[in-house]
Amino acid sequence: MDQPHKWVLAEAIHSMYQAPLYHLILEVLLVIWILRLLFSKSYRIQDRVPLTKSEKEALVLDWTPEPLVPPLDKTLSEAVPYRAVNGQPGKNVEVDGRLCLNMASLNFLGLLGNLRIEKQATQSIKKYGVGSCGPRAFYGTVDVHVELEEKLAKFIKSERAIIYSYGFASIASAIPAYAKRGDIIFADEGVCFAIQKGLQASRSKIVYFKHNDMRDLEEKLKHQEQLDKKDSKKASVTRKFMVVEGLYMNSGQICDLPKLVELKYKYKVRLFVEESLSFGVLGEHGRGITEHFNIPIGKVDMISGSLEYALASSGGFCCGRAYVIDHQRLSGQGYVFSASLPPFLATAAMEALDIMHENADMLKELKYKGRKMQQLLNGIPGIELVGYPDSPAFHLRRKDPVSFKEDLQFLQDIVNKCSKNDLCLTIAGRLKDEELNSNWPPSIRVAVTVKISDEELERAANIIRDATV
Amino acid sequence: MHTGTTNQVANPNTVVWNSPGIWITYLLTTGFMHLILLSMPWFTTSVSWTLTNVLHGVCMYFFLHTIKGTPFETSDQGKYRYSTHWEQIDSGTQFTAARKFFMTTPIVLYILASFYSMYDFTHFVVNTLVLLLSLLPKLPQLHGVRIFGINKY
Repeated sequence: MDQPHKWVLAEAIHSMYQAPLYHLILEVLLVIWILRLLFSKSYRIQDRVPLTKSEKEALVLDWTPEPLVPPLDKTLSEAVPYRAVNGQPGKNVEVDGRLCLNMASLNFLGLLGNLRIEKQATQSIKKYGVGSCGPRAFYGTVDVHVELEEKLAKFIKSERAIIYSYGFASIASAIPAYAKRGDIIFADEGVCFAIQKGLQASRSKIVYFKHNDMRDLEEKLKHQEQLDKKDSKKASVTRKFMVVEGLYMNSGQICDLPKLVELKYKYKVRLFVEESLSFGVLGEHGRGITEHFNIPIGKVDMISGSLEYALASSGGFCCGRAYVIDHQRLSGQGYVFSASLPPFLATAAMEALDIMHENADMLKELKYKGRKMQQLLNGIPGIELVGYPDSPAFHLRRKDPVSFKEDLQFLQDIVNKCSKNDLCLTIAGRLKDEELNSNWPPSIRVAVTVKISDEELERAANIIRDATV
Repeated sequence: MHTGTTNQVANPNTVVWNSPGIWITYLLTTGFMHLILLSMPWFTTSVSWTLTNVLHGVCMYFFLHTIKGTPFETSDQGKYRYSTHWEQIDSGTQFTAARKFFMTTPIVLYILASFYSMYDFTHFVVNTLVLLLSLLPKLPQLHGVRIFGINKY
């Protein structure tokens, strides 16, 4: 309409009489629709899925119940060929009825089955019973827990220690206690499964650097520094962490701690070191990677370790500054939401710590044995030895890898042949579909114990050498 | 707002449209919008009525049939994540009072707009299209249906 004019009711009513027929029909239909609407009954749409009788019967006929337990043959064939272990795995272990030399357990100091530890643990059971019956903050703290924490802190020369009831849970809880969404974690791509789970739980941005490649790490830190300069407001609220292992579970290598500490101060990143394997192995007194490189423990922000390998007990711990570690008492999920370590295991760990402290020679011997075994195994055709020379745990890989499956079979054959000659080895277990680096080469992880004599080492080396031919 | 406590429903979206307060607020808002449009001197009465209908229809389509999920922190594990607001009303029960009311209002508005635009053809086309926009998605037959996968996620 070009010219706005006043609207008059009469005019409108008049236009109604002249309204086109389709319009009126539509309006009448709409009015009927409203009336129908007002009188229609309400119903739930979920209830109006019509199924005819024949359809129902077809559904019933279609359904074949799955057995509660799948047929045994199928489960057996799909599962890893398990081997039955009898008794306590110490220096020797009974596998499938044969007494074998045990080079599969990470029992570096030979403390499994140690009589002194057993006696203390038995006494502790008589005093406290078997379980602590609650999380640490909920009636689960027993004096030995506090004692063990103090002892660990004193031993490792840090301000405070905190113990977890499961070694896996300690680092997996410690990382997400500090790193949150929006933070950045620089992690080695070879880190073990526990760390991977911790990284995942932190929901931070994870930057993986090449395994033990400090140059790659520095590049990534530099790149991040440039990004931070561009967006300094965001950088001021972003925490940055580096997560490495002292002695890598997956490769037997040690991390380059001096360089890491240097990078830490240069790029202002917090440094977490996972010492599950290196605690009780590296260093003059077994304090781990920091003692190995003679670096004061204060330079590392947090150290996490396990009581399950060298100390032959159960559980894990974290060490560091008091205000850093005490944060975990309310934020470490594994600490807060899990029953505390059974008191007798804490006593056992303390006793093991004492034994380790009293016999510092054990550590020298362990390094000597590790080095010797590596020398003995060096140069076997078709096999590549991976690991730090002093490390008692190292890996045997296929020298010319073909494919993951074939390499695995190749190594499995070696393990099988060795067990026929009374040597117990194992392939380093990895959850292929769940772990980060799914094309990480398969390997046999050889673990040396101080209890194994030189002659036995030579015999074991010969068995492995024969098995590869 | 954190819901899911004992004296509250899991998802307030399912009950909010039942309250008479919301109905009155809705009617007042629509009426107020119409009055504002009517007060603008460069719109004729016909245009302002059609505009009211169009704005009402588009807003209704946007708020009831486009936006999905709920703004509340519910404890239903994301059950309503992919449901439009209309589908959430009364937890999907059809032809409840709230649904009847909000299906009736666009039709009444359409009839009013038709009357005030004096059954002009252009206005008819615009008003009818807008009416379809707000009526069709409300049909029980289209409950949970995403034509061509539009607005599916």
